[in-house]
Amino acid sequence: MLLKLAWLNIWRNKRRTIITATSVFFAVLLAIVFRSLTDGVYDNMIHNVVSYSSGYLQIHKKGYWDEQSIDNTFEEDDKLHQELLKNPEVTHIMPRLQTFALASWADKTKGVLVLGIDPIKEREVNNLHEKIVDGEYIESVNDNAVVLGEGLASQLKLKVNDTLVLLGQGYHASSAAAKFRVKGLIKLGALELNNNVVYMPIQQSQYMHGAENRLTSVSVMLDKATNLKKLKHSLQGSIASEAYEVMSWKEMMPEMDQFIEADSTGHYIIIGILYFIISFGLFGTLLMMVFERKHELGILIAIGMKKRLLAFVLLLESIMISLLGCFTGIIGGMLVVKWFTVYPIHLTGDLKEVYEDYGIESIIYFSSHEKIFITQTLIVLILSTLLAFYPGYKVMKLKPVEAINS
Amino acid sequence: MAKTIIDAHNVSKTFNPKTIPVHAVQDVHVHIEEGEFVALVGPSGSGKSTLLNMMGGLDEPTEGTVFIDGVEITKLSENKLIDFRLHNIGFVFQSFNLIPVLTAKENVGFVLQLQNMPKTEREKRVLALLEEVGLKDKINSRPGELSGGQQQRVAVARALASKPKIILADEPTANLDSKSAANLLDIMAKLNKEEKITFLFSTHDQRVIRKARRVITLVDGKIESDVEQTPS
Ligand SMILES: Nc1ncnc2c1ncn2[C@@H]1O[C@H](COP(=O)(O)OP(=O)(O)O)[C@@H](O)[C@H]1O
Ligand SMILES: [Mg+2]
Repeated sequence: MLLKLAWLNIWRNKRRTIITATSVFFAVLLAIVFRSLTDGVYDNMIHNVVSYSSGYLQIHKKGYWDEQSIDNTFEEDDKLHQELLKNPEVTHIMPRLQTFALASWADKTKGVLVLGIDPIKEREVNNLHEKIVDGEYIESVNDNAVVLGEGLASQLKLKVNDTLVLLGQGYHASSAAAKFRVKGLIKLGALELNNNVVYMPIQQSQYMHGAENRLTSVSVMLDKATNLKKLKHSLQGSIASEAYEVMSWKEMMPEMDQFIEADSTGHYIIIGILYFIISFGLFGTLLMMVFERKHELGILIAIGMKKRLLAFVLLLESIMISLLGCFTGIIGGMLVVKWFTVYPIHLTGDLKEVYEDYGIESIIYFSSHEKIFITQTLIVLILSTLLAFYPGYKVMKLKPVEAINS
Repeated sequence: MAKTIIDAHNVSKTFNPKTIPVHAVQDVHVHIEEGEFVALVGPSGSGKSTLLNMMGGLDEPTEGTVFIDGVEITKLSENKLIDFRLHNIGFVFQSFNLIPVLTAKENVGFVLQLQNMPKTEREKRVLALLEEVGLKDKINSRPGELSGGQQQRVAVARALASKPKIILADEPTANLDSKSAANLLDIMAKLNKEEKITFLFSTHDQRVIRKARRVITLVDGKIESDVEQTPS
């Protein structure tokens, strides 16, 4: 009955209700599209960055992260791989042996990052082979050749088919030294990598370091939408937690996490302003609804309706108007987001180049994470409830005689 | 001896006591018994509305006490008073008594719903009430589709719904033409006679006053006369 009364009441002034609901509609629509866009951009950025670097999650021997030495490696273990792949969110795993070495060519010497990789698995994740600018990509885990970051090659003044000499520390204090033919040069967006990286087939790397079958890490790639915290937690439980540590990219690359946090704050402020503006509209409407109906509210109190109940009807009216806008806004937002998920925006021109220089796909994806929609509904629900407090308070203070005479 | 419904002692009301005091009602005693049909008359500004409001627990007297059916309503807390009104007092105001978005049936049923009466029982009672005020064919009309007289009859039906001890009506005919006014009064008189409903209504319309069986006259907030009469 109260629901029906509230519903009928909001349509007494159709135009006002529609205008108010429409303002909520646009706010929710804009907020959703905006959030979906920025989250999509972040997700895409994270996905690109982690696919070259840490993966979303990384498994190490316990203690490796604090002391990144070849002695803190672990034996490659099929059971671990099976255990990881059991999770439906896990799309790829990438075993790696990551070390540092001195690289020299002719009279030039430089410290480099040697990434022992499985070239097939790696290219499935990050299309590494497409980034080759000269020569060819390494083909198998025991190909006797390496691929160099283009920046590193130019510092060493080295070309494809030259021979690179690597000198480093092997497993258990043995020395590691080897010569490799440079098979290709690769251009990477991340300058760090571009100027320092040597990609080496993992078995060659293990052999060079006297670390047969040993890995420094297994990187785990996930679906973009995965709840990272939850998965990390469950992995920590399911793989032998005494032997391994599971770390997320947020722990391994805190700068990127902080950058995203800081960037999002600006977006929250914009959305906050949006909601602040519509709050005024809704508030005005609610005040008018009390003001215009004073006489009637007085009569209802006179004939025995408790003020609390009356305030509740006003609360319902407030929630109804805003949910009307909210739900249509969500539907509209979903349609827009859906559209852009099916037809993502392909950047062109300068922007495209900037993106590609950073090694990020030049496509703007929209996130359709349900969290975005739920958050907007909650915000609107909370706003309309809070805003209904003032008219509710007005009702509590209403004197029936004065109200009836107005 | 009949049961006392209203017992008001030394009731006074002063508006704006601190600035320009208006003594709207001064030291009034009213005693009304079950089944009476009383008109409260007097010129405009004589304090009729103020007195009715105090007797219905809508306004607090500055001084004095009001008992309704033995309950000292001037002592009740706001919430208790609202509840007391719901169960014991029916109100009819001068105009715009009804909730505009609800039909006649829903308006009358609203009070019963506030009392949590079960649906089937409620529907039966609402129909009987609307039939009694002669609006059987208007049960699904909204107030905007009813004439002023019909609206007032719905208001009377609503006031009756909770089987109150008394119905207080403040100038219920003021906005009606004489035919509708007479019709409303006839319905009220019939309910008074057949259902033993106690009525106290204010008016300054001579034709309405004639229908009352007792007439209390207020002048300048004081009772000038209180007489029984034979209705005509
Ligand atoms: N809220 C109020 N504030 C100040 N004066 C009031 C108020 N209500 C009524 N009065 C005054 O009290 C007197 C009685 O008013 P009222 O009871 O409305 O008379 P009636 O109903 O007989 O016309 C009038 O002089 C009126 O101006
Ligand atoms: Mg009056």
